[in-house]
Amino acid sequence: MERLIGVWVESLRVEALDGSTLRDSLALLDALSVICPFTELVRLGFYALPSRGPSRFFGGEDRVLEVVGATVRDVLGDQPSIGVADGLFCVELAAREGVVLPRDGTNEYRRSRPLAVLGRADLATTGRRLGLITVGDFAELAAARVAERFSASVGQLHRVARGELAELPGQRDARLAGRLRRLREADRPDEQRGFFGQRGAADERAHAAVLRLRRRLGSDAVVVAGVRGGRTPQDRATLVPWGAPAPPVADNAPWPGQLRAPSPATVLAHPVTVELRDETSEIVRVDARGSLNARPSTLGFTSGAARVVVWHAGPWPSVERWWIAPRRRAHVQLLLDTGEAVLVAAERGRWWLVGVYD
Amino acid sequence: MFAFLASRPPVPRDLAATLRPVTLATHRRITLEDPWCDLVPGGGLRRGTTIAVQASPGVGGLSLALSLLTGASARGHWAAVVGVDDPGVVAMADLGIDLRRVLFVPRPRGAWAESVADLLDGVDVVVVRPPGRAAVGSARVLMDRVRERGAVLIVVSETTTAWPLPVDLSFVITRSRWTTSSRLDGRTLTVRIEGRAGVRAGEHVVVLPNRRGRAAVV
Repeated sequence: MERLIGVWVESLRVEALDGSTLRDSLALLDALSVICPFTELVRLGFYALPSRGPSRFFGGEDRVLEVVGATVRDVLGDQPSIGVADGLFCVELAAREGVVLPRDGTNEYRRSRPLAVLGRADLATTGRRLGLITVGDFAELAAARVAERFSASVGQLHRVARGELAELPGQRDARLAGRLRRLREADRPDEQRGFFGQRGAADERAHAAVLRLRRRLGSDAVVVAGVRGGRTPQDRATLVPWGAPAPPVADNAPWPGQLRAPSPATVLAHPVTVELRDETSEIVRVDARGSLNARPSTLGFTSGAARVVVWHAGPWPSVERWWIAPRRRAHVQLLLDTGEAVLVAAERGRWWLVGVYD
Repeated sequence: MFAFLASRPPVPRDLAATLRPVTLATHRRITLEDPWCDLVPGGGLRRGTTIAVQASPGVGGLSLALSLLTGASARGHWAAVVGVDDPGVVAMADLGIDLRRVLFVPRPRGAWAESVADLLDGVDVVVVRPPGRAAVGSARVLMDRVRERGAVLIVVSETTTAWPLPVDLSFVITRSRWTTSSRLDGRTLTVRIEGRAGVRAGEHVVVLPNRRGRAAVV
């Protein structure tokens, strides 16, 4: 089995909604490909590269690990968790725990892991009842006995446990390569096309103005916007610097629970905390059923100012991405005594000012 | 034969004047959409003019200024929005603005006037919200630049930070009232439109935004 270096980057594991995770992953892949052209992005947050070639080039595996760590720090500013082992299955485990296995230590390491690392909770439960605690216990079983009692997919896992297969079925994200390719294609210079794909004179003038402005204020001063799918105004808006590849636009999909128009003319990129209180000056809470426990009466800002709430609508609760990074929110529209209307959201036990209907 | 001479004969001055591109009267205006086309003289914003939108904070000044962009955007003009820190992108899309031709300079870092001057060279309409009351000097420079480039400058200001120079057309929100049902339904704005000579001052009532996020007549 080939000896591999695994790089585990926790911050890239959960995909952010604005496409930044994929962009960062691509940037890191390009940087690591300079060290070794056979670097592979196995899944989001996990890279694997062969150890033999780079070790010979850099003069030792330790040197390679240093270079890899420095590269990740340069690109992302994060400390990665790096492991070395034989085979893709073991190197992912090693990278997650940050251990560098000796040349012949992979077999022993794999056998000492708990059975759940094979990725099948039902197998782990059954195994525990049968007294099979570790991968090694499972590997001890004869292949014919496993084939009698379990399905074909468990037979595959058994071969992985015995070290006959290098990787779990489905360990690689099959869709990732296509997504990276599409992102690379979107990474072309940016501008609006005129008739028949040409840039018109007006587009050229606008482009020149942008370049002048970027020289004056910095490369991220000019921003272009787009609308994509989502439920709330802040999720649906994309604001990326001019020239950066825009995240894919998929606006025609239905979004059940989407907040309807009108939408706030000011949507805070970084929501600020506010305090929504009822008549008895208690903070209003959203209960498990998604309704308010009291009628909002005042809205307090961090500056100390407070406004009287004359009317409210909602809440509109939403639980999103519960399968990976759950996000529970409830939005409320408020009409204040000054005539302003604002959109606030309850999240993580606090109230946030999301937008102003300016 | 002239091609071989070191100095080519100069083009007569009066001929140069006639060689300037001809612009039609309709091209000198940036057309407005409903409901503004019936309320503004000529149905559009004349190129080279400065427009002020004045309102108390939070009652719809920004929405009104952005709604003036829809006509320009629908006809393929480029627009820019300067000094609006957190633009409501979805609200702009709902208004009917083509976001592919809008440039945002959210935080011009004290150089808002310079940013506007740069952008006036490249885009047709610039919406700017100065961080405070603009200095008379920079206001005059910008208005001259607008006239020279044939662009349109829309200044969003509050009552306390009004534009220091007289403008060609001004929209003042005098009253704003939300209609509600189980959610915010629409906002009725009473807008006083004033201008220089030829513009009849008057108060008009528009709905901005309505249930679909657009600007509409009542």
